[in-house]
Amino acid sequence: MSKVRVVFFASLKENLGQGECLVELALPLSIAELKRQLADGLDKGEVLLEKGIQSSIDFEFARDSDLIPEQVNEVAFFPPVTGG
Amino acid sequence: MILVQEEDFQVDALYKSLLKSNQTGAVAMFVGLVRQFSDLPKEVCSFELEHYPGMTEKNLQTIVDEANTRWSLLDVCIVHRVGRLSVDDQIVFVGVSASHRAEAFQACDFIMDYLKSRAAFWKKESQGSQSHWVEAKTNDEKSLERWSKLRNS
Repeated sequence: MSKVRVVFFASLKENLGQGECLVELALPLSIAELKRQLADGLDKGEVLLEKGIQSSIDFEFARDSDLIPEQVNEVAFFPPVTGG
Repeated sequence: MILVQEEDFQVDALYKSLLKSNQTGAVAMFVGLVRQFSDLPKEVCSFELEHYPGMTEKNLQTIVDEANTRWSLLDVCIVHRVGRLSVDDQIVFVGVSASHRAEAFQACDFIMDYLKSRAAFWKKESQGSQSHWVEAKTNDEKSLERWSKLRNS
């Protein structure tokens, strides 16, 4: 098992009431599987399953099917970006 | 140069920073501003920009790298503000210098299109005690399609 830092941004951070958490995971694990684990484990975690929620693994945009590697530093979840 | 900062920026200084090469024949620049987004007086409207430190800068560098593979550019400058802003404030600067105007115009347009959909920033608008997160526009995502069509043509 590995301890992984998971961070949240913008409306997701507000809805979850926290900006980050530390989770113990059996890696490798897909983004979709992590989403489901967090949705079950976090208070109001179901917001992670909403359509359009994006993710990244160590600052690289990730898809639901992407695997989180054993050497991971940080996974992030966030709503679609709106810069510029 | 890529900067993500709370401070305002001076367009004149950024323009001058793009003039390092004596091969510069064109500079294209874009400045994004906070426009009035409510019927309420602008004094009670505010705007907040959140980013993902580390990832945002990496996203912007990836976009600049891609622009450099597509066009022959001399220099690129991106400054994006974060934190609390007001109506009329500057949000973003994109400047591109090249030997010819076509490259400069196209690269500036390309960078802005990708910045809107592929860089980790989120906007929140507040009017008095009400606030909401700005939703991504489908048009922004569609704007990217023309660049893949251009590349494939």
